[in-house]
Amino acid sequence: MPIQFAYHPGNVAHSSAPEVDETMRAACRSLGIGLIDLPGATSCGAGILGQANRPLQATLNARTMSMAEDLGLDIITPCATTAATLYEDLNMLKSDLNMMGTVNATLEKTTGRTLEGTVRIRHLLQVLVEDIGLEAFSKKVKNPIRSKLAPYYGPNLQQEGLIGGDDVFDPWYLESIIESSGGTPVRYPSRTSSAGTPGLFSEEQTVLRQSATILSEAKAGGAKMLISACTLSHGVLDIYQGKASRSTGLNTNVPVVHLSEYVAFVTGNFPKRLAMLKTRLAVIGD
Amino acid sequence: MRAGVVTMSEGLPLLILFGSQSGNSEDLAVTASKLSSKYGLTPISKGMDEITLADISSNQRILIFCSTWGEGEMPDNAEDLWQAASSDAAPSLEGCHFAVCGLGDTSYDLFCQSGKDWDSWFEKQGANRLVARLDCDVEYEDPAAAFTLEALSKFAAVNSSGVFEEDKVGVPSSEPELETLEESASDTSAPPADSGDLGAFLSAGDRTLNVFFGSQSGNSEELAAKLAKNASQYGMEGVVHDMDGFDINSMASMKRVAIVCSTWGEGEMPDNAEALWQAAASDDAPRMDGMSFSVLALGDTSYELFCQSGKDWDKRLEELGANRVVNRVDCDVDYEAPAAIWAEEALTMLSATDDSGNLHEELIDAIRDLVSGGVSAAEGEDGFTLPDLSAGEVEVQLSVFRYDPHERTSGTDTWLCSLNGHTTLLGALRSIQRTHDGSLCFTDGAPHDPCTALLVNGRVTLPGSTRIDRLSNGRPGPVMLTIEPLPGYDVLRDLCVDFDGLLKKREIASIWHVSRTREAVKSEQGIAIGPMEPFKAAELHSMSNHAGPQVIHSCSDAVAYADSYLGPSVCLDLWVRRCDPRTSDKRISAIDATLAGADTILAETDMAPFGRQPLAGRDIQAALSSARTRALEVNGFNGRHGKHVWWYAWTLKSSGKVNDTVLYRQVLGPLGLLSNLSSGVTARMVTGFTRTGGKMVNDILALVAPPAGLGKMPRQFNKRVDKHHEVVSIFNSLDRRF
Repeated sequence: MPIQFAYHPGNVAHSSAPEVDETMRAACRSLGIGLIDLPGATSCGAGILGQANRPLQATLNARTMSMAEDLGLDIITPCATTAATLYEDLNMLKSDLNMMGTVNATLEKTTGRTLEGTVRIRHLLQVLVEDIGLEAFSKKVKNPIRSKLAPYYGPNLQQEGLIGGDDVFDPWYLESIIESSGGTPVRYPSRTSSAGTPGLFSEEQTVLRQSATILSEAKAGGAKMLISACTLSHGVLDIYQGKASRSTGLNTNVPVVHLSEYVAFVTGNFPKRLAMLKTRLAVIGD
Repeated sequence: MRAGVVTMSEGLPLLILFGSQSGNSEDLAVTASKLSSKYGLTPISKGMDEITLADISSNQRILIFCSTWGEGEMPDNAEDLWQAASSDAAPSLEGCHFAVCGLGDTSYDLFCQSGKDWDSWFEKQGANRLVARLDCDVEYEDPAAAFTLEALSKFAAVNSSGVFEEDKVGVPSSEPELETLEESASDTSAPPADSGDLGAFLSAGDRTLNVFFGSQSGNSEELAAKLAKNASQYGMEGVVHDMDGFDINSMASMKRVAIVCSTWGEGEMPDNAEALWQAAASDDAPRMDGMSFSVLALGDTSYELFCQSGKDWDKRLEELGANRVVNRVDCDVDYEAPAAIWAEEALTMLSATDDSGNLHEELIDAIRDLVSGGVSAAEGEDGFTLPDLSAGEVEVQLSVFRYDPHERTSGTDTWLCSLNGHTTLLGALRSIQRTHDGSLCFTDGAPHDPCTALLVNGRVTLPGSTRIDRLSNGRPGPVMLTIEPLPGYDVLRDLCVDFDGLLKKREIASIWHVSRTREAVKSEQGIAIGPMEPFKAAELHSMSNHAGPQVIHSCSDAVAYADSYLGPSVCLDLWVRRCDPRTSDKRISAIDATLAGADTILAETDMAPFGRQPLAGRDIQAALSSARTRALEVNGFNGRHGKHVWWYAWTLKSSGKVNDTVLYRQVLGPLGLLSNLSSGVTARMVTGFTRTGGKMVNDILALVAPPAGLGKMPRQFNKRVDKHHEVVSIFNSLDRRF
């Protein structure tokens, strides 16, 4: 019987990053993970809504999490920002009973729901390593990408307690996924640094410098491709890498894929896209 | 006197030094130490990194085992002592006797060079070479064993005045054979006695150690107090007794006795010891058969009857039937080092002696391990078990950032080393600097000094309070540590940074406090004082209780890339002032204006890094988020940052999902979109150059009106989430601005 989760695709998988949602579903099918959609789930706010009104963001997320509790399922998401935001709001409510009471009062008045706080938030990476297991995952690998690959965590997955048994100081889950699927992980300093994505609109120059550092360090380590566990950072590191290179003079030209894409490809999905990706790996770069 | 031990000379301390890289020299030193007692010697074995030149100069008998490393270099633990020995200030060693055993490998050009160096040095300093130096090849066991036996027998023939008496060179009654030496060496690798057995022994019966002092100038009293204090480490309760007025019969009933006694004038007892000595020396003195004892004698070799009082006590107690567990040590005016050696040995032996006066030799090593921290735990005074903070060795790969300001070059140096798990990161850096690369530059300081902070695997860390084993991620193989200087500062050299920039930013932001005029009770000095609401006080405290502004500044991932950004620590200080009810209204307005500026909290690109940094934490992250909320309100959600937040909330309310097309259009505006078009961002999205999926029609549609988007071209219109009215209702309940 497959393991099941309530599925939150993240903030932009419905729009600017449709490939994340698409490959997430395929990858989970291959790995025996059942995804139950939450059609009423809202954007997690990504910490941006919280800048305007923290209780508002917490209440909206309490609504989403209560939907998963109704199903008796934990939430899975491929987006590091969504995982961290939901986790942070859930923990805040569980540790501040006054806040929990206030949020539940609003929630009950407006939706008839309440949050108990029993739901758990799981990122795809954690489910792969802890629920599926590296050995089982490696047996599902059909199209290994035997290349030097740079894992990118971003700062959100380095929250204490969010990513299960991974070491928040020196994470290795992504590296183990890469190793289990035939690749060689590249160790580079900025693999857990922020790409600055939330500030892209307002502090573009700073974000370009941050992104360029991550990409250039991964390249300097010999990486042929970067695998991101964060949907938002994936977008910036991918689309803005040319602009980042021109802005900083650093060598940033490297393909960037999301973890869900990578897992879907190596488990035998989208063979044509994988062929295109391998062609890019052979073409792009120094 | 202990049964079966032939005493060649009484009170003969022997210092055994080892300079060891792989442990062979240390093994030989341990073996020699075990055999020493059979020659009537009282050994103390020390690594060369545990001793100073002053300690050496205060010893008359010194046995050295030293290996050679690399191209004729000293082993790591001998390097510092050798450097000190090579200086002009090296002491004279006249009257000292020594023997050197060098370990090496003939396949190297400079065979046993370290041993040769030490041998020459001792001779140069005036010491007497008692045994010709032995240079051992890789098969060192047999020659080293023979050398050790010869050296010990000769050291035993050096009398307490430092004179070598050749006619007294001899062998112990049960001469150890070479096999015994090997057994002894192998014993060193055996595990210590079971800690449970030791614990039972150390808690059974009377564990009192009675320390008597006969003192004229106070030195003996001081040493006695120290000895009694240290007794607790050996599982004994130390009790100090002034000899003055003490009843000899009470003394006779004691099980463990240590005597520290000076000599006065021409071999006389100190004043406070005179009466007790008369009682002990009398024919009516009681027998002391069940007593175990040792004597430390203080004196001055310039007097004819050197340490006579101590000798008298030592002899008399033996005559009365007491058992000497450690030979007497006679100290000259520089008494500290030999007294420390005697104390360590006496405490160990007296601790290993039971109520019946039997010495349990099998527990001696376990007791030494206990004192050195090798046993898992010790009982605390109030009954709870103290945790064992020591840890075994771990393999560590340290990749350290290097920067040379003169050459303007940077890079990374990597060391693979084996360290005790409880070693702090700062300790590891110190060790590398001391033993491998003296040019390595880092800021040293107290464990919680924020100026020592470093970036370790992306985390801001105080290296003086961070253990190496706490940095392990539990994976097989070495602990991998990437160590970099604190981000956000100019690097001076290697890991040292310049905090001057932060100080200037703090000055620019005027973070100081300006109080409002308050209606309150006034102190006698006319200063208004009054209570603060506990909740408010706790809030202010939680925001101010952090590792230091230098550390908070580096917890931002953006600060290193935004030159004009004042940084989070300045913003935090401003916010704390802003929240302080004592701050004047005028000052609050000024702070609001500063916070709403482009170079303060709105310049922070991502708040997530603060939550992950243990030295900042959630409270600091929440405080900075509150400061940002206030800045947005002051700006009326204008500017790109304000618009981003406002339109994010607006689209979320409209559909339950964020609409990045709207965000791009509303936040960047036509010029921003044009910039993306010309910079290739838009083209990169449309051509699908880097993408692996998505429908091209969406991109083209978005390009027409409204154009552009984050990442792949977004769909223009969001489908509303189920029960969207609930979302609207929540918005309307909590925030009607959007």
